[in-house]
Amino acid sequence: MAREVNWERNHDPVGIWNGRGKAVLIGRGHSPTDRRWDGETLEKSLGAYMMIAVQNALDDVGIGLDDVDGIIGSAGGQGNGAPLSDVWGPRPYFDAPYDSEDGLTHVTGQWLRQQMGFKNLRYINNHGDPVWNLIGQAAQAIADGRAETVVVTYPNGNLPGRYHQDPSNEARGPAVWPNTWGWGLSGQGFTFNQYCQKYGTNHDRMAPFVVQERKNGLLWEHSYYAQHEPGEFTEEDYLNGRMIARDLSIFDCDRPVLAAAAYVMTTAAKAQDMKQKPVYILDHTESQFTPRSLVQTIDDTEEWTDIQAQRSYNGSGLKPEDIDVFAPYDGFAVFTQYYIEAFGWRGVKRGEAHDFYAGDISLKGPNPLNSGGGNMGTGRMRTVFITDPLEQLQGRAGDRQITTKAEVAVTHGVLPITAGTVVMSTSPD
Amino acid sequence: MARPIVPVPDPVSQPFWDACNEGKLIVQYCSICDRRQYPPEATCRDCGFDFHLSWQETSGRAKIVGYSITYDSRLVQWHPLQPFLNVIVALEEDPVINFHTNLIDDFGTNLTEEPDIPIGATCEVQFVEAAPGRMIPEWKIVK
Amino acid sequence: MAILLSFDIDGTLELGDPPGGVTTEMVRKAHEVGFIIGSCSDKPLSVQRKIWEDMELTPAFVSAKHQLGKVKRENPADAYYHMGDRDTDYLAAKDNDFGFWWAHEAAEQPWLEFDMNNHEQIPISPM
Repeated sequence: MAREVNWERNHDPVGIWNGRGKAVLIGRGHSPTDRRWDGETLEKSLGAYMMIAVQNALDDVGIGLDDVDGIIGSAGGQGNGAPLSDVWGPRPYFDAPYDSEDGLTHVTGQWLRQQMGFKNLRYINNHGDPVWNLIGQAAQAIADGRAETVVVTYPNGNLPGRYHQDPSNEARGPAVWPNTWGWGLSGQGFTFNQYCQKYGTNHDRMAPFVVQERKNGLLWEHSYYAQHEPGEFTEEDYLNGRMIARDLSIFDCDRPVLAAAAYVMTTAAKAQDMKQKPVYILDHTESQFTPRSLVQTIDDTEEWTDIQAQRSYNGSGLKPEDIDVFAPYDGFAVFTQYYIEAFGWRGVKRGEAHDFYAGDISLKGPNPLNSGGGNMGTGRMRTVFITDPLEQLQGRAGDRQITTKAEVAVTHGVLPITAGTVVMSTSPD
Repeated sequence: MARPIVPVPDPVSQPFWDACNEGKLIVQYCSICDRRQYPPEATCRDCGFDFHLSWQETSGRAKIVGYSITYDSRLVQWHPLQPFLNVIVALEEDPVINFHTNLIDDFGTNLTEEPDIPIGATCEVQFVEAAPGRMIPEWKIVK
Repeated sequence: MAILLSFDIDGTLELGDPPGGVTTEMVRKAHEVGFIIGSCSDKPLSVQRKIWEDMELTPAFVSAKHQLGKVKRENPADAYYHMGDRDTDYLAAKDNDFGFWWAHEAAEQPWLEFDMNNHEQIPISPM
């Protein structure tokens, strides 16, 4: 299906969203979380896990397949439907429905329709952006009346073998510019090093943040770590992390996993008949930037995140002090300070995030940052950034339930260069 | 010295690589936006059009703005050189435009300790043969 | 003689993720024969300690993979070997003058051929 254009709210001034309070995020469902697929067991494939997640989401709110009239999904977790993982081919495929990449390394709405038997779909979009954008797109579709009850799907795969290793001795297309000089994740470390130089801080000061995220993640049943590596992660562990690049250690990088999640979104009216409390979407905004030149600098990063944070505040009419639950992305942990500072959450200004980390960011304290644990605490699923704010606002986060007020949540991801922000509230106003 | 990964030109980047083979460092220039552009793209990043894009030779002089070190690359061909140096230099006449370099004198040295990279130092472009017939720009500190 | 064996975990030990070909039994045997054993892995130190607990063995060391040099300084021996499945394992061994086996070679337990009274560290092969 063609990429739908012009649904994003990405041109300033965005103004208060005209769909404010009309669309509701209400239910969630998850699959098991594995480190990787074994390449054989089809019951544990990405497609199978996506179906489990969808069914769990429907059960969560007490509706059936026939109640759903839209599927908005990331076919594979990445822009334009590309899978976050590597692809299965050219290895031989399996019998239908696993006779192509669809179901193995990405999962389209059409594949789900066929396998699960959705009958009343009038809107399917495999747009393929990260999960924040998908929630935004679904909210827009509901507010515009294109669908009433939408399942948002977000599958993330991981195949046997090492992740994203590139054996090529030639570089083509955009890869020419970094690969010729061996530039890769070094870019994340470079920008972070610029940040450290600018504000007089250092990598080790990230430790309290990453350690706290792992603690929070262990309290989320779908976290990879909760399921497979439940031991304590300490500051000693973090500080001994092997460097992938200067100022970027292995413990700043999220661990690729195999997992799928689904969300039920609907109209405020229909939500009244569902089992969970409605959480209203107050706003969604998006952005897409390009570096001034080849390498993203700290100046680029701060400019982009400032623009997106301001756009979100303009779109929602909120101020920093209105945000109770804040979930800024951490796929590389060295991203998160850019977002906290841009949004000014809890009054944090540019250059102050590491001081903030050194304070009380614990789950039951005054500043429960990323109460779901982020990717550092759960694995490379990204979906905790939707599920945790939803559950916090619904008051069903269990051991993760924060003790400070949880009425307004802001979740933001994925990269400084391409971002989506969703604002949620227990109230439609 | 041969490079681990060799760039393959495409229609957009071909003039850049051709110029490298002639010992010139060129970047795109959009006359309507009055801005240089690197890496080369089919259109200007600002105005979105190609009508006003041309190629402009640069001085090749640049200043070091920062560096990174790669310890564990996903690029397998680079593994034997790990850890290796990644330096960013910005064009002297237009500091917005930045380039990668491994610094000629440090390429392939398998770093054993944190290098002393002089931020702000002036460099000059030189062209090295990544593979037969394929020159790429690298930089050398001149002072 | 004192000979030190450093085990990578993921992709090397059967308890690793992904599992490797070096079984817990092989590790236990190496311990019984008298090698100084421990792990050097990307896994957090706390997780490495738990894995040794699960194997019911007490390691001489647990270490981050890039800290083989520290392992050498803190564990005097006549010969040092690391084994692992990744280039980073090889390079860590090479940089710190360890001998090295790839994980599939290690699964053959080459150390059992050593003369424990007269052994000279096998030089690392080119990558």
